[in-house]
Amino acid sequence: MRTRTYRENYRELTELLPYRSSWNWYALLLAVLVSLPFMVPTYVMTYVTLILIAAVGAVGLNIVTGTAGLISLGHAGFLAIGAYTAGIAISTYGWPIPAAILAAGFVSAAASLLVGVPSLRLKGLYLAITTLAFSIIVVHLINQWEGLTGGSSGMPVGRPDFLGIPMRSPASMFYLTLVIAGLTVLGTLNLLRSRVGRAWAALRDYDTAASMMGINLVRYKLLAFAVSSFITGVAGSLMALNIRYLNTDSFELIVSIEAIAMIIVGGLGSVRGAILGATLITVLPDFSRYVLSLFGGALGSIASGNTAEIKGIIYALVIMLFLRFEPDGLAHQWNRTKRFWSDWPYSRK
Amino acid sequence: MKAPTPILSIRDLSKRFGGVQALSGVTVDIRQNEIASFIGPNGAGKTTIFNMICRIYDPTSGTISFNGKDLLRHRPHHLAGLGIGRTFQNLALFRHGTVVENLLVGMHAHLKSGVLDGALFLGRTAREEAQAREEVERIIEFLEIEEIRNQPVAMLPYGLQKRVELGRALATRPKLLLLDEMVSGMNQEETEDIARFVLDLRDELNMTVIMIEHDMNVVLDISDTVHVLNFGVPIASGTPAEVAGNPTVIEAYLGAAHA
Ligand SMILES: Nc1ncnc2c1ncn2[C@@H]1O[C@H](COP(=O)(O)OP(=O)(O)O)[C@@H](O)[C@H]1O
Ligand SMILES: [Mg+2]
Repeated sequence: MRTRTYRENYRELTELLPYRSSWNWYALLLAVLVSLPFMVPTYVMTYVTLILIAAVGAVGLNIVTGTAGLISLGHAGFLAIGAYTAGIAISTYGWPIPAAILAAGFVSAAASLLVGVPSLRLKGLYLAITTLAFSIIVVHLINQWEGLTGGSSGMPVGRPDFLGIPMRSPASMFYLTLVIAGLTVLGTLNLLRSRVGRAWAALRDYDTAASMMGINLVRYKLLAFAVSSFITGVAGSLMALNIRYLNTDSFELIVSIEAIAMIIVGGLGSVRGAILGATLITVLPDFSRYVLSLFGGALGSIASGNTAEIKGIIYALVIMLFLRFEPDGLAHQWNRTKRFWSDWPYSRK
Repeated sequence: MKAPTPILSIRDLSKRFGGVQALSGVTVDIRQNEIASFIGPNGAGKTTIFNMICRIYDPTSGTISFNGKDLLRHRPHHLAGLGIGRTFQNLALFRHGTVVENLLVGMHAHLKSGVLDGALFLGRTAREEAQAREEVERIIEFLEIEEIRNQPVAMLPYGLQKRVELGRALATRPKLLLLDEMVSGMNQEETEDIARFVLDLRDELNMTVIMIEHDMNVVLDISDTVHVLNFGVPIASGTPAEVAGNPTVIEAYLGAAHA
């Protein structure tokens, strides 16, 4: 019987999950997620929906900043463009949900060329500031363009039935998010292990050498922005569908910082890392607030009154700690743990 | 009988960086299937010639043609497709990748899959990836680096990293291979390996090779032609024996050694 420990042909060497045992674990994870609405209270399921949406966004940002090495503080801007595109498509034009989600991706990808073009010349801090300015301008435009976006008073977003399936319940939102998160993760993993993903990693590591390998730097940088923003736009559309009432408060600068924190904590360039990071960073502020409130008194009231400040402090701390002590992020820890268990009992000193 | 057209033809090539005249009036023909060497003291302008062939720099004046085509009309990312591959004087590997991943990047110009193909990874893309992997495996075998194929390149000793860089250049399927100080920093055994690989590439895969080398044993033993530069000025060209006996060359080298 084949244990599939040894590869028999080159096709097997290029598989996504070459080992049967890892298939089993991912099948189990999927089964747990699919049955989640039947097993946990609604607020837990809604919380997992939030994590999944954050994970889609983090996987998107990770492409441009983690894999291609082009730092972007414009994440909130692309989320906003995606969210409002979906909102307008559904509320104003009555588009079905899948069409609205795709439109969100495409409009966001198109907008990314506005920051992609400067990225051809700018590096590091300069690119960070340009992308940051972009997202501030986006939020400003949304607030100004009242006729289209509802301006500062906001915009309701419905969840129309799709092919007779009611979309209004939290469970249907959860399943919609799960499907899209699954497709995003699978597609991104595939992309990163094929020609385009390798080209992005190559231009991050050594751009002159990458161009000698035939990689058109201009094209691949723009492509990294476009694909990253497409996915981020899709995440934005999920935010819109999930909160059902859009205003620009959801797209402040802190959201971009949060996304950067997710991919740094997870490990730049790693899809698994982006998911782990999205989970940790989504849970951490609520968890800290809960812990602070246990102390009661003054600490408790600080916790309940200053959500944004607490988030900011936590992200700053987490980013600094990870950059200092584990720059390869949670993905690296994951691999070490996995190796420990697969080598056990020989891994014991 | 008419001589066959050279694979690479450099005419009156000059390059000035601000106040530095890095290269003046270099004219060289490289014949199909030969091993040619550029030698000369540090700062003589050897790497600058490579960088102009590779279109990283524009010449101040002069022309370069490859198989009769004007190379100066091309951009750096066209070279792999045209059939010119190179290694760098200082290591230029993709340091986050493994050996296999570095070589796969080298195949970029010969693969086709785009964003959607990659994301879906269906039949054609899966086949293309498997074929690329197979070709990479042949290069790994040729360079005798089977043991390290899945190691991150950043962890490898210097000599092996250089060898991986050669492998990555081979993955671009070059007709003309440019090697910039391939053996400097290598021990005797590693140097002999590289010399053997270069000869095999020429003899078995019909490549044309241009080396920039300081190691005179390698240069004199395996080159067909040697071109000598001194302060950006070409001072001699010919067979190893001719160049080694040339008084100007001896003077330049002794001069450099005494300086
Ligand atoms: N990008 C550059 N900018 C300025 N000067 C340069 C640059 N590249 C090379 N040079 C100068 O050109 C001359 C030749 O350099 P190079 O071709 O690297 O020499 P070699 O490879 O023969 O040691 C040197 O004086 C070097 O300082
Ligand atoms: Mg040099």
